[in-house]
Amino acid sequence: MPLASLVAPALFTVMSFGKILLIVVGLLVVVGVIIAVSVAGVFNRLVTLQQGADAAWAQVQNVYQRRADLVPNLVNTVKGAANFERTTLNEVTEARASVGRVQLPPSSAPTDPQQFAEFERAQGQLGSALSRLLVVAERYPELKATASFRDLQAQLEGTENRIAVERGRFNEAVQAYNTAIKRFPAVIFAGMFGHTPRPYFSATPGADRPPSVDFDFESKVEPKKS
Amino acid sequence: MSGRAGIHRAGGWPTGWRVGFAWLLLVVGGTFARAAETIPPPPENHFNDYANVVRPDVARQLNDQLAQFERATSSQILVAIYPRMQSDSSVEDYTVRVAQNWGVGGRAKDNGAVLFMFMQSHDVRIVTGYGLEGALPDALCKRIIEDEMIPRFRSGDFTGGINAGVQAMMAAARGEYTGTGRTAREAGGENRRGLGPLGILVVILFIVIASAVNRRRGSYYSPRGRRGLWMGPGPWGGRGGGGGWGGGGGGTFSGGGGSFGGGGAGGKW
Repeated sequence: MPLASLVAPALFTVMSFGKILLIVVGLLVVVGVIIAVSVAGVFNRLVTLQQGADAAWAQVQNVYQRRADLVPNLVNTVKGAANFERTTLNEVTEARASVGRVQLPPSSAPTDPQQFAEFERAQGQLGSALSRLLVVAERYPELKATASFRDLQAQLEGTENRIAVERGRFNEAVQAYNTAIKRFPAVIFAGMFGHTPRPYFSATPGADRPPSVDFDFESKVEPKKS
Repeated sequence: MSGRAGIHRAGGWPTGWRVGFAWLLLVVGGTFARAAETIPPPPENHFNDYANVVRPDVARQLNDQLAQFERATSSQILVAIYPRMQSDSSVEDYTVRVAQNWGVGGRAKDNGAVLFMFMQSHDVRIVTGYGLEGALPDALCKRIIEDEMIPRFRSGDFTGGINAGVQAMMAAARGEYTGTGRTAREAGGENRRGLGPLGILVVILFIVIASAVNRRRGSYYSPRGRRGLWMGPGPWGGRGGGGGWGGGGGGTFSGGGGSFGGGGAGGKW
């Protein structure tokens, strides 16, 4: 305070009021420009990250669609095998149908956690039904020996691997985006521009373990002995 | 911490330091815990037999063929044979990350494929980049592995099995893309000439550090007694002419930044 009261009158003796006003306004403009530029930078960064998450989501949809497209072919091939277990086949067909019912926007990362969880649940069901089918197929040597089944199995395995890869990349992209919109300068205005946190995939519990299959021979026709 | 640190002394360390040290331990420990997995450095050649299971003359021939294949088609097909997998993860998960890390294939075309083998666990896997998923679909990869390679492996003929697998992969991927007549490494060599003195200095510094690190890491990833990783004329020291191993040149492969999406197939022998 004493310094200011000393300097202020001293300044007035040197400069006119207009000049001081000019300097103050100039400073304000400079500060304003700096803020605008940095806001624009943060904004652009958010847009880039959002685009990244959207692109990763499109890939996720792609590979899930690829798997869904394999199902009819697989079911038909397996149906041809003598006395193939009905319940396993029905499970796959039903899971495939319920996957088709959950529709999420194809080109932008979903924002609704509930819808997302529904999607994940349906896809998880189809995944486990399919892996059960493959385990059951081990009991049918004639089926396993056919070229078409072998090819389908390879395709299915490859698709499951693609799903794992794209899910992982989607999670990385979304986590980068979610972190960015919660960090300091961005958090102030991220919401204004419609940037909200996006849900991502959870690590499925037990995904690393093989599916459990109970061979219920009481009610089903027993497969041929090899 | 300034005032009280002097009073609350334990083991001669101020409290703040001890907290800091514990934190450091946690961070470093965490890093090491995750480093149970090693992503090997990008290989120097198209054909890399780190387990010494393929006859050297066949290995050299395959390397030349794969380099020539890249010149003709621009697609990069790599072979990497390791004694064992350096990860606790699954083969399909690990190999896709390794291939992605190496950037096999062109950045725009993603036309790379890698044939991985891990001798101890008897694992063989073909990993295809996005751009080769059409030419090398999963089912075909599976057939190559199960029909061409595994029967020969089971009878102990690794040289024959790997040769058959590589030929089948090249046959399938031929015609998918057209090449420029040069490998990415040869083309990269020309670009690097225009780096200027500063760039060259950076490259030299990198080589010194890399070779120091490489020496400490031991010879696990360098083919025993064949050549030092950084010996011979580098890609910037005049065109190596794509000589492969024969001339003791600086290798044939350099990644183009291709991406992998988990395509491919695997098997066990």
